[in-house]
Amino acid sequence: MSKRLFVGVFENEQDTLKAVRASRQRGFKIVDVYAPYAVHGLEEAMGLGPSRLPWIVFALGLLGAGLKVWFEFWTTAIDWPVNVGGKPFNSLPAFVPVTFEVMVLFAAVGAVLSFFFVCRLFPGKSTVLPVSRVTDDRFAIVLEETDSRFEASEVQRIFEGLYAVHLEEQIAAEVD
Amino acid sequence: MADAVLTLRPPLIEGDKSIAQVTHDVCAPMEARPSRLWWLALAASSSLLLLGVLAIGYQVAVGVGTWGLNRTIGWAFDITNFVFWIGIGHAGTLISAILFLFRQRWRTSVNRAAEAMTIFAVMCAGIFPIIHTGRPWFAYWLFPYPNTRGSLWVNFRSPLVWDCFAISTYFTVSAMFWFIGLLPDLATIRDRATAKWRRTLAGILSLGWNGSYRAWQRYEVVYLMLAGLGTPLVISVHTIVSWDFATSVLPGWHATLFPPYFVAGAIFSGMAMVLTLMIIARKLMRLEDYITLRHIDRMAKLVILTSCIVGLSYATEFFIALYSGSSYEQFVFLNRALGPMFWAYWTMVSCNLLIPQLLWFRRIRAYVPAVFVISIFVNIGMWFERFVIIVTSLSRDFLPSNWFHYAPTRIEIATLLGSFGLFFTLFLLFCRFVPVIAVAEVKGVLKYGRPHAEAIHE
Amino acid sequence: MSSGNKHYWKALEEKEGGPEFLKDAARDLVERGPRHFGRRDFLKAAGFTVGTAFATGCRRAPLQKAIPLLSQPEEIVPGRCLFYASTCGGCSAGCGLLAKVRDGRPIKLEGNPEHPFSNGGLCATGQASILGLYDSQRLQHPLKQGNKISRDAADREILARLASIRSQHGAVRFLTGTITSPSVLAALEEVLKSLPDARHVVYDPVSNSALLDAYAQTHGTRLLPRFHFESAGVIASFDADFLGTWISPVEYTAAYRAGRNLEERRVSYHVQFEPRMSVTGTKADQRFAVAPGDFGVLLTHLTGLVAKRAGISLNWAEPDASPVPMSFLEGLAEQLWHARGRSLVLCGSQAIEEQVLANYLNHLLGSYGTTIDLERPSLQMQGNDQDLESLVRELHAGKVHALFVYGVNPAFDLPGGDELRGVLSRVPLLVSFSQRMDETAFLAGYVLPEPHFLESWNDTEAVNGVASISQPTVHPFGETRSLLETLSAWNGKSKSGYELLRESWRARVFPRQKKESNFDAFWDRSVHDGYTEVEAAVFKTKPFDLRAVQPILRSSAALDKFALVLYPTVSMLDGRNAYNPWLHELPDPISKVTWDNYASLSPAAAKKLGVNNGDVIHLDASRTGLRTLELPAYIQPGQHDRVVGVALGYGSKLSARFAKVGPQWIDALLSVGDNGLVGQNVASYLELKNGVLHYSSTQVTLSRTGKQRELACTQIHNTLTVPEHLRPGGSGARPIVQETTLAAFLKDPQSGVEDDEEKEDLWPTDHPYTGPRWGMVIDLNACTGCSSCVIACQIENNIPVVGRDEVRRNREMHWMRIDRYYSESDHGQVDVAHQPLMCQQCENAPCETVCPVLATVHSEDGLNQQVYNRCVGTRYCANNCPYKGRRFNWFNYSHDDQLQNLVLNPDVTVRSRGVMEKCTFCVQRIQEAKIEAKRRGEKVVDGAAQTACQQSCPAHAIYFGDLNDPSSRVSKMMQNPRRYRVLEELNVRPAVGYLTVVRNRDQESKEEQHG
Repeated sequence: MSKRLFVGVFENEQDTLKAVRASRQRGFKIVDVYAPYAVHGLEEAMGLGPSRLPWIVFALGLLGAGLKVWFEFWTTAIDWPVNVGGKPFNSLPAFVPVTFEVMVLFAAVGAVLSFFFVCRLFPGKSTVLPVSRVTDDRFAIVLEETDSRFEASEVQRIFEGLYAVHLEEQIAAEVD
Repeated sequence: MADAVLTLRPPLIEGDKSIAQVTHDVCAPMEARPSRLWWLALAASSSLLLLGVLAIGYQVAVGVGTWGLNRTIGWAFDITNFVFWIGIGHAGTLISAILFLFRQRWRTSVNRAAEAMTIFAVMCAGIFPIIHTGRPWFAYWLFPYPNTRGSLWVNFRSPLVWDCFAISTYFTVSAMFWFIGLLPDLATIRDRATAKWRRTLAGILSLGWNGSYRAWQRYEVVYLMLAGLGTPLVISVHTIVSWDFATSVLPGWHATLFPPYFVAGAIFSGMAMVLTLMIIARKLMRLEDYITLRHIDRMAKLVILTSCIVGLSYATEFFIALYSGSSYEQFVFLNRALGPMFWAYWTMVSCNLLIPQLLWFRRIRAYVPAVFVISIFVNIGMWFERFVIIVTSLSRDFLPSNWFHYAPTRIEIATLLGSFGLFFTLFLLFCRFVPVIAVAEVKGVLKYGRPHAEAIHE
Repeated sequence: MSSGNKHYWKALEEKEGGPEFLKDAARDLVERGPRHFGRRDFLKAAGFTVGTAFATGCRRAPLQKAIPLLSQPEEIVPGRCLFYASTCGGCSAGCGLLAKVRDGRPIKLEGNPEHPFSNGGLCATGQASILGLYDSQRLQHPLKQGNKISRDAADREILARLASIRSQHGAVRFLTGTITSPSVLAALEEVLKSLPDARHVVYDPVSNSALLDAYAQTHGTRLLPRFHFESAGVIASFDADFLGTWISPVEYTAAYRAGRNLEERRVSYHVQFEPRMSVTGTKADQRFAVAPGDFGVLLTHLTGLVAKRAGISLNWAEPDASPVPMSFLEGLAEQLWHARGRSLVLCGSQAIEEQVLANYLNHLLGSYGTTIDLERPSLQMQGNDQDLESLVRELHAGKVHALFVYGVNPAFDLPGGDELRGVLSRVPLLVSFSQRMDETAFLAGYVLPEPHFLESWNDTEAVNGVASISQPTVHPFGETRSLLETLSAWNGKSKSGYELLRESWRARVFPRQKKESNFDAFWDRSVHDGYTEVEAAVFKTKPFDLRAVQPILRSSAALDKFALVLYPTVSMLDGRNAYNPWLHELPDPISKVTWDNYASLSPAAAKKLGVNNGDVIHLDASRTGLRTLELPAYIQPGQHDRVVGVALGYGSKLSARFAKVGPQWIDALLSVGDNGLVGQNVASYLELKNGVLHYSSTQVTLSRTGKQRELACTQIHNTLTVPEHLRPGGSGARPIVQETTLAAFLKDPQSGVEDDEEKEDLWPTDHPYTGPRWGMVIDLNACTGCSSCVIACQIENNIPVVGRDEVRRNREMHWMRIDRYYSESDHGQVDVAHQPLMCQQCENAPCETVCPVLATVHSEDGLNQQVYNRCVGTRYCANNCPYKGRRFNWFNYSHDDQLQNLVLNPDVTVRSRGVMEKCTFCVQRIQEAKIEAKRRGEKVVDGAAQTACQQSCPAHAIYFGDLNDPSSRVSKMMQNPRRYRVLEELNVRPAVGYLTVVRNRDQESKEEQHG
């Protein structure tokens, strides 16, 4: 199904922030905001909850460490016990460094992959920009024209008051 | 309030740029034809690289005997170069991760290059553990892989195995860190690209990034994560490298001081190398507005700090040796300073301890050529530090009957030059084809130290 | 790969289409390409030689009848070794040996433990002589003017020439080294008898003629007495290197060791006077450097002192001042006199009058019949320089019509140089029996190559009353014929050596014994044992003739010049071993220099001249007709300040082959000098005058040339003390070699031993040693540094030769090395300590922990194992080895000489490039012993497993065995109070223990003398 979207384009981050706040006060549904860099304070303005990535990373780190300790113990003490320099088969302290490295590896790789996954980022994905130059110097707010509360004229007034450089309505298939 | 404080400071980016200008300044040189200077540099470095390739080829074909090693001194140039490059590789992560965690905004215009440097340095470092083995074609045996030779695993007690894991993890994580940072800029390149190949290539690499803020939010989180993981990692890597020596029985190697000593040394040499490269890059790519005197000044200060830590380590080593009461320890250190290889030791001391002290003077820190020269000296000094630790300790150990001397062969020297060739070749290509400045991040800090943005509209 | 063109030497036979054997062997081996000489190739080669062995076994009686020591000859099991008792042909000492034959191919020579005088030891050269068998440049066919000729043709022509010479009463001379074979001497006698003017002239390039001449004067018979070191309480040796190269070193070493038994508190007191540092000098309790010209005066003084005590007043005039403090001589005279009948005076000098004085001393001290045996004298070193001198005169006068040269190389080892060579080449009929194309064979009209002593039947009576047999262990490779066969053929009875020897023994040896009544039984036992003890031939000696004794009052030592002392080394001897790469690479026991001879100088002399090691100096002899000599200098502590020493036996044509020995790569240097040879021949500096060949009569002046030739030396720091300016305090001496004096030892056997309490272990121990646990103890007091263990190890473990340049780069591959340390001693002399060092097989081995791929791990019987095929060659283990006992394969060392490869030990892997290697405690021998024990169903008995170094050691300084067996000798030795471990404080727990050096001195040991 298709939606009617209202896109406001701004020139700098302060105006964008104000516009976002204003839109939320009036209860407009903000589909997304596009910016050339990570604008601070925008997540509160948009009211996004904190990310759950840290937990995934933490879990993966533990997993990596656990696996490695078990592997080192299994190889040197169970599967193939050999006398190396008179050290005991299970020389746990000597296993620490590698364990740490593998923990970091799992955590880091896990973090990146899950990031790509939740953001649906993958090579060859066709890019959809609301308006051009959002990766250069433009900020775009995308509102959904849904319920009765939405009044194009009002939105227009507010945005122009905040020095919007360009406004347009779009009929678009799912944009995320 | 933060902004208020920041307004008191001079701007991070000179010359009152607009967001669009930033994009342009960084991307334009990549789209324009390379300068003659760049071509010359590339020619020089790639011919060095070729030399190195030939040297390594000959050595792999004929044997490690083509190096100046002997039954007393089993490591010299090979492992010296390895530790040297790994050390260089530490500054990148330091700048991008640690300074990021400390919210040092000024890092933004240097971190991209610094990270690139890290990756290239680790590549250079990675060569040596492989070619230093007697049978390089079996070097992969250092990894525990399932095999059909019955129960056959590696020795997890050996610091060399720790090295393998540390280095490969470090390389992977730095590479990912770098790529994540690069993602938005790739999108920028993609969207302003005129040439088709550039658009497609950037299109594939940018994974369809479109600046959606939902993505930006998670992006920030991941970046923070990687920084958080990278910081202990960078410390662990050089700690493990130092354990190659610290866990041995050899006087001069067997020292508990080594981990902090090596990490400090690594940051020291890394900073110096970053300075060297930044000063070259800002000339080469005309980025004086982004890599400003303030950047150089701050890195110079870091160099002094680490130089002093390293100096302290030298002193501690000596003190502990004399204090230890072990005649072997005592001898090794006196032998370093006064023995047949005293020249190496004093080169190290003067390059790492004495010369950097000049940076205490603001005038010198502000005079770029001086800083450049000093950074070169530090690079030399840090190479010698590793050389001194490895060779002097080996050359005269427990049994006097084993004492022997060491001199490098042509092959070894060519290999060292080759590694520099590889490093600079990669760096020059990087300057050409990848935004040397983290565009998105710089845009983020543009407003720092500027009159408040509303002003624009009045 | 640069190693492609590596060759120990170019095989002549390849060019000349050599013997079938070579071709076949080569074809078999080469197929898989030259450098990869795998196990399979080995078996092929082995198979081939087994074939030969069988084939010949059927063709020739001897091999059939040969009786191995351990098992019956019928059951030649492939892969199992047979030991054949035989006699060493390395020199005239005639030590008993066991030839280890594997698959029909001798692969190692070991001392025969039951042999009456060599007692299981075998010197470095003796062991290395096996390589001569597989020397692809050994002559395989008779030659005429350098071209191949059939044996019969050669016989015919030579006999024809002899006939014509006989008819015109021409002079025929046989010039040989000492021949100890009664059978050959008899055959030779027959030949000589058949000719009107024929004489047999015997000389030894390293001559002891003066010693025998002296006995002719004092006892009326020209003989070489047999010395009994074992029963000597006080030994005063005047420049006699009896532990190194003098007459019969292995025999003497064993006896000397027996006379110095600390466990039984029976320790002889040994004083050595010598111009240069010799192996014997390093073991002396008191040692003095004396200029060659001063020995006469010294002996005169000592004689006077001893005579005084004997109550004899020799009213001799006052001699020059003694070169040694009179106080010391007084003491020595007292000791000698006190030990009357148990004292022994030796003189290695080539001055008859000095020898006479030594005899007189022995006479006064009653040594005859106790420590010196004249009834059963030695038959080694029978050379007579007077005969030699007259022969040389004859040669110059062109009076000799036929000259047969056997066992010596006059064109190389005699003075006279080109002039003599010219004279020799003008001899109408010059026949050489040389095994190789040496300088003399080069001039000879005919060369009838002698087979290797492992290829032919022969016998030896080196000591009167001990007859030993050498039996072939392999069929001759070429068309060679032993001297015995040749002479008999010329006497008209051409039989096989086997038959000839049996006949000869039936006639000569069998009657001299009573034990066996049946000759065959006697023969079989003798062949089986390798020797038999028979009645000694009667040697009549007259009572001591005092008229011969004359004092030597004046020193002949020149004060302005240097005395040039020419000496044999334990490896090259007179140059007979110049073909042998093992011996070229064997570090000299004292200087540790390889692949060269050099001019050794005392530190003071070097300082005065301003030369350092490796500075080429110019030796200018006053004598005319000498080519000037330039040699690299080597600074030798303990040498006399007015002496320059140079080794004989170098610069032989036979060493030309070594130019490209070892790995060849862009920076590789040749192993030969500018003359294309290894070292330089200094024989022309010898002097043959007044019936004696002089080794130290030449005076030279030295000068710097400014040139440099770095010596390939395996040890460059020579003391255990660290340099003055590199020690914060204390003596700076390291307790690596721990020593004490006899006085201190008698008070407290543990004196000199650093306290070695077992350190606490950080780890819980997971590894109890339940079965056997191998360990070794080395008695530093017994070790003489003779280096026979080094060669034994090299042969046993297929250790490659790497060449001069690699040694210079400190990359020699010997698993076993002997460290040598100097330290100050009393009277401003130096002490020397030898320390054999190999992998210490540590229980907490530092090398194992650091190996990333588990290529070196610990076995449950306590061995530190090296897994070649797993090693990637990081060299981390070597770096972490406190003893630096590990060796790395820097290159692929060449194994291109297919014939020479047959000497490789099939039980030991030939290591490839890039892997680490080291001493394994001869694990292959341990395994063999285990398997044998298992087969028998019993546990390994003590002594069943012997390491190669232990087996060969003439001084029995090495103990090896199971430490878990309290009754084993090695465990007992581990309990010895003298035992210490090197670097105990590291707590690596080496399995090798050392016993302190105990010097027979009165004063308390200065703690850690080494410095």
